Amino acid sequence: MTPSRPKGHLAVAAGVLALGVFVLVGAWDLPAGGGYAQVGPGVVPRIVGGGLVLLGALLLREALTGGFRGVDEEAEVHLPMDWAAFAWLGGGILAYGFLVERAGFLLASTLLFIAVARGFASRRWVLNAFVGAAVAGFIFAVFNYGLGLQLPPGVLRGVLP
Amino acid sequence: MDVWAQLASGFAVALTAQNLLWALVGVTLGTAVGVLPGVGPAVTVALLLPITTKVDASGALIMFAGIYYGAMYGGSTTSILLNTPGESATIVTAMEGNQMARRGRAGPALATSAIGSFVAGTLATIGLTFLSPLVVELGLKFGPPEYFALMIVAFTTVSSVLGDSTLRGMASLFLGLAIGLVGIDNQTGQARFAFGVPQLLDGIEVVTIAVGLFAVGETIYAASKLGQAKETLETLRGSVWMKAEDWRRSWKAWIRGTFIGFPFGTIPAGGAEIPTFLSYAVERKLSDRPEEFGKGAIEGVAGPEAANNASSTGAMVPLLTLGLPTSATAAILLSAFQQYGLQPGPLLFEANAALVWGLIASFYVGNVMLLVLNLPMVGLWVKLLEIPKPQLYAGILVFAAMGVYGMRQSPFDVFLLYAVGLGGFVMRRFGFPAAPVIVGMILGPLAEEQMRRALAISQGDPRIFVTHPISAALLALAVLVIVAPWAWRRFGPRARA
Repeated sequence: MTPSRPKGHLAVAAGVLALGVFVLVGAWDLPAGGGYAQVGPGVVPRIVGGGLVLLGALLLREALTGGFRGVDEEAEVHLPMDWAAFAWLGGGILAYGFLVERAGFLLASTLLFIAVARGFASRRWVLNAFVGAAVAGFIFAVFNYGLGLQLPPGVLRGVLP
Repeated sequence: MDVWAQLASGFAVALTAQNLLWALVGVTLGTAVGVLPGVGPAVTVALLLPITTKVDASGALIMFAGIYYGAMYGGSTTSILLNTPGESATIVTAMEGNQMARRGRAGPALATSAIGSFVAGTLATIGLTFLSPLVVELGLKFGPPEYFALMIVAFTTVSSVLGDSTLRGMASLFLGLAIGLVGIDNQTGQARFAFGVPQLLDGIEVVTIAVGLFAVGETIYAASKLGQAKETLETLRGSVWMKAEDWRRSWKAWIRGTFIGFPFGTIPAGGAEIPTFLSYAVERKLSDRPEEFGKGAIEGVAGPEAANNASSTGAMVPLLTLGLPTSATAAILLSAFQQYGLQPGPLLFEANAALVWGLIASFYVGNVMLLVLNLPMVGLWVKLLEIPKPQLYAGILVFAAMGVYGMRQSPFDVFLLYAVGLGGFVMRRFGFPAAPVIVGMILGPLAEEQMRRALAISQGDPRIFVTHPISAALLALAVLVIVAPWAWRRFGPRARA
């Protein structure tokens, strides 16, 4: 019987390997010598990069010979990937990054709350909007007024005290 | 000054109204995040790191430490009442305690774990009080090569003990080391891996990594992989009090659990997983009713819970005396010290005695508070478990995004957070542990510093690490930690199976 070669495992192992190569290339220009220690800022990056390449290679070997040890791909079949949920969460966080300074903390947070709740299959939009706004308002009150963290008011500038 | 005088001066710090309040806030928050699935002490301390600019060092550190050990108390409530095992250190409690709850004995299970946690936490704090000065004595004799070797030991144990594969643990560790490289080299001022992005020159904040891996990654995983999984919450009926029979069966297990857990916490062996399993095995062996194990034996909750707590307090010994974190939360506590320009280690006990001993004294106070919070008031925390998953995780992410954005008012950090969260999701999916990443990114730069100092002493001769006997022994130990399990599998008695 040929050993199974889970594609995900191969990709992750290749990713570790690629990261190692990336670190090694980045370390190339950094001076390795100099100073009393004769160990410059480039030495540790070379060790880390080399280590990642080695670990990536070992992971690749595991992936090619039946998959990572102790990761049960049979069990994964029963946990299918819910891409819609994945997209709702990603969309919510990225939208937050775009909106937090343009629309303000309160609106961005409320939208994030609704998106995440939707990712967990909650369709009670109105309830989630209210709860989200309440949570955002609570955080704004505690951190902005209480602890002096500057959170952007956005479109509500002038409306908020 | 002897230990008693130091401890007395510590209580003088811990018992001020202000610090009592910080301790109370810390243990309350700690219990809450311990109870709530999807958020843990590492994320909470990370999100609260910005308050270090507003609050004095002793107040903030007392609160952070309270979150750390408070979460241990709260975590057991969840593992008893909910049938999903939370963090790995509470898996055993989840097995035995959930069985008790299903048989209508949730009250005694919660009580034995709260009282056991108190007994273990207090005994372990006594251990911390008397052991720390001895380790400090030892630590003062250490030079850079010894510290470097000690950090290497911590690296290897954290990555080989946490999680179930040394190889994946090491990969996580090296990922953390790589993240720790980003920014300006603090000895030469050379920029490394910043690619001209100004936000990267200051290095990547531990907040972004911890929150990304533990909160965002976990949430993405919970939504897209576990969305359909059914959870059953056991109800808490009747009194939480234990009968005489329960006391008789519990107290020895608490003491034994403490003596198993504390030593494991103090050596840099990473995590409370091993001592809890060990304690469970011991209790099962010594019990006069081994047939009850697996069906809700109270000793099986009492022992492992005590071991869990004792080891988390024990982990304060290497953190405070040597500056060695052995878990993700301890690593973030270390970075909280760094926010104040403090470096835990033997010198801290001399230069900031009031702060360190105040912190140690606050452990005694905090454990008493936790006993009250988790026994008479346990019903309140059970309510937290009734928050439905969509709203719970939505709230967690709103906090997470706020904390990461608010750190330096930068939307860039929010996008970075999402990228780290995706990484955390992939790691979770393929069984890579997250804690070594945090330990690597915080301890990595310190290890590099010690290594370069040691090589400056020897004028570049790397043999300094093996000619110093302590450092040589520690490095040999580190090699053993990595090689021994592999050699055992390959050449051990069952190698041919």
